[in-house]
Amino acid sequence: MKTGFKVVSVAFPSTLLMVLAVGLMEQTEPPPAKKVIILGIDGMDPGLLKRFADEGALPHFSKLMKDGDFKPLQTTMPPLSPVAWSTFITGTDPGGHAIFDFIHRDPKTLMPEFAMARTIPSDWTVNVGPWVIPLHSGRIELLRRGRAFWELLEEEGVPTTIFRIPSNFPPTSEGHALSGMGTPDILGTPGTFSFYTDQLTHETEDVSGGRLFRVSVQDSKVAADLLGPDNSFRKAGGKMAIPFEVLLDPVEPVARFLVQDHQFILKEGEWSDWVRVGFDALPHLVTVSAIGRFYLKQVRPTFKLYVTPLQINPEDPAVPISTPDDWSANLQKELGYFYTQELPEDTKAFSAGIFTPGEFWDQSQFVYRESRRALDYALRNFEEGLLFFYFSTVDQGCHMLWGYSDEKHPGFRRDANLAGSIRVLYQEMDEALGRVMQSVDDDTTLIVMSDHGFNPFYWEVNLNSWLVDKGYVKLKDLTQRDGVTLFQNVDWSGTQAYALGLNGLYVNLRGRESNGIVSQGAEYDQVLDRLEADLLAMQDPRNGNHPITLVTRTHRDLKGTNVASAPDLIIGYNRGYRSSWKSPLGEFPREVFLDNRDPWSGDHSVDYRLVPGILLSNRKISLDKPALYDLTVGVLDEYGVRKLPAMIGQDCLD
Amino acid sequence: MFGSKVKIDKNLMEKVKKYSKIAGYSSVDEFVTHALEKEVAKLEDAGSEEEIRERLKGLGYIS
Repeated sequence: MKTGFKVVSVAFPSTLLMVLAVGLMEQTEPPPAKKVIILGIDGMDPGLLKRFADEGALPHFSKLMKDGDFKPLQTTMPPLSPVAWSTFITGTDPGGHAIFDFIHRDPKTLMPEFAMARTIPSDWTVNVGPWVIPLHSGRIELLRRGRAFWELLEEEGVPTTIFRIPSNFPPTSEGHALSGMGTPDILGTPGTFSFYTDQLTHETEDVSGGRLFRVSVQDSKVAADLLGPDNSFRKAGGKMAIPFEVLLDPVEPVARFLVQDHQFILKEGEWSDWVRVGFDALPHLVTVSAIGRFYLKQVRPTFKLYVTPLQINPEDPAVPISTPDDWSANLQKELGYFYTQELPEDTKAFSAGIFTPGEFWDQSQFVYRESRRALDYALRNFEEGLLFFYFSTVDQGCHMLWGYSDEKHPGFRRDANLAGSIRVLYQEMDEALGRVMQSVDDDTTLIVMSDHGFNPFYWEVNLNSWLVDKGYVKLKDLTQRDGVTLFQNVDWSGTQAYALGLNGLYVNLRGRESNGIVSQGAEYDQVLDRLEADLLAMQDPRNGNHPITLVTRTHRDLKGTNVASAPDLIIGYNRGYRSSWKSPLGEFPREVFLDNRDPWSGDHSVDYRLVPGILLSNRKISLDKPALYDLTVGVLDEYGVRKLPAMIGQDCLD
Repeated sequence: MFGSKVKIDKNLMEKVKKYSKIAGYSSVDEFVTHALEKEVAKLEDAGSEEEIRERLKGLGYIS
């Protein structure tokens, strides 16, 4: 194995003796001079990029557009990050890589599941008293099919370093890779924050993406627990917990925190640094390590404490998050602790009203600064081969801050500090690009790309409710439209089709779905014909708009060998529309069309033609309309590596 | 005997008899029960509705 990345191991911490792990291997084999650096900026939109560049706000992007090339980059259908990045990774459409949404379903149980990875539990255990001890551990399986382009490069001796590319958990690489989108927090969720307050009616309350805990302030002291994962080692199960204490200054808005063997003091409005904690799963044998940051929002009159989702500790990861396994620990030594969960910007705390807009901005800037520091490190240590580096802040910021700059938005909020915040996020990327350009020499191909662009999210479509109105779904109880999730109110014996995930629509097919009623063959085709026509004719009675402009029939329109697991239809929403908040997990509210007033105000899960990504390079772009799968072939071609037969693109760089 | 009856293919039944002895089960019933328990446990590992909701709810795109 070759690597283009300097690996630093500290033999004796006090001596700082550094060993370049591969220096010796390279003596017998001259390194290839060719370098490729890819800056992957999730959600960067070509229209916004051009506008800010024309305004003179993005000098480095402007220079790259002038000296190199810039074109919109065709995304995937649906234009969702796990789907689009998987297409770039494999050079196939979703029919090839089998990621069709954030969520898919098990046709036997009709239960929604994450589409990117799944956990396979250990089969073999022994019971010792109250403990269940696995004889070998379970594992997590990446569900993305097809081969990653960097694996092909590695086979040809090209060193690779992949920082946080989505849809790569657990990471696959013979080089260096740190996993990104798809990586859970320590609870196994996409991120669950904790909020402790003495102003809560119930003992605990769940909100989307977080858990609220009622605490009491007694003698200027608060005692609470950090909630950990289920203890699978105990027969009785139950979640692990770490007690902690907060000692409040009786006068000043200041508190001392005692968390395991850590003590720190925070002022009101102050964040702690990362705090390492350990959950004892099996006494003296197994400890699950995690890290979190504490934000003392308010001391009095109401006590308010936010704790980030507890992260898999990169220093001692409970599940693999890097290749080689110990690379995340090496990164921690160099960079300090850092967010490891998939999309760390806490959009859920903002939507739940736990964060003010300003607090969300501050927290997302922590994420940006960690990434920016990692970019410096990556560039400093990059010597040869391929370097891919990913930023999430533009995507997450556009989701949450769109409503501050768009007066037509139903949820428009006037805030002088945030009106130009998206522009600032683009300027931060421009500064990062400037740093990357310092590392580009004549032998380096520079690529700046995004997976999709952005649209406003004005109106929600309860697609499942529309299916009820049109007779495709039969409900058991028409009076129970709200609050019953996961399709529990569906009478499958009278249901022809159902929507699941952000853009997926499935036929209730006999022989595939556990209670399927539509026969394969002519009846299936007739249902799809009727659905396609009805969906494209859908009209929003409030304004006369057609909310859907494209219906992809996967078995007709996608290539690849994994189409069988696809939704039967993928829905392309019109500009301004998106699937509702409730429909993707099988709820059926009465109203089909709603104004979106959530802080999550921008989106991209629409007709893919409306939200292309960006492609910039210091090479000329040879195709008029390059697509993500063309760029895969383009990167391989930089090293003279031929594409696989399953790859559907063509070289797009001169 | 009032227990449930299940039809099993003759060839499969022969294999079940053979392997239940090899694996040290005291009876075919015990072997079949254990095998079914393992399969059910696998399905249950897919998660209760509450667990599924908990796992998915942090995804930014859904509430």
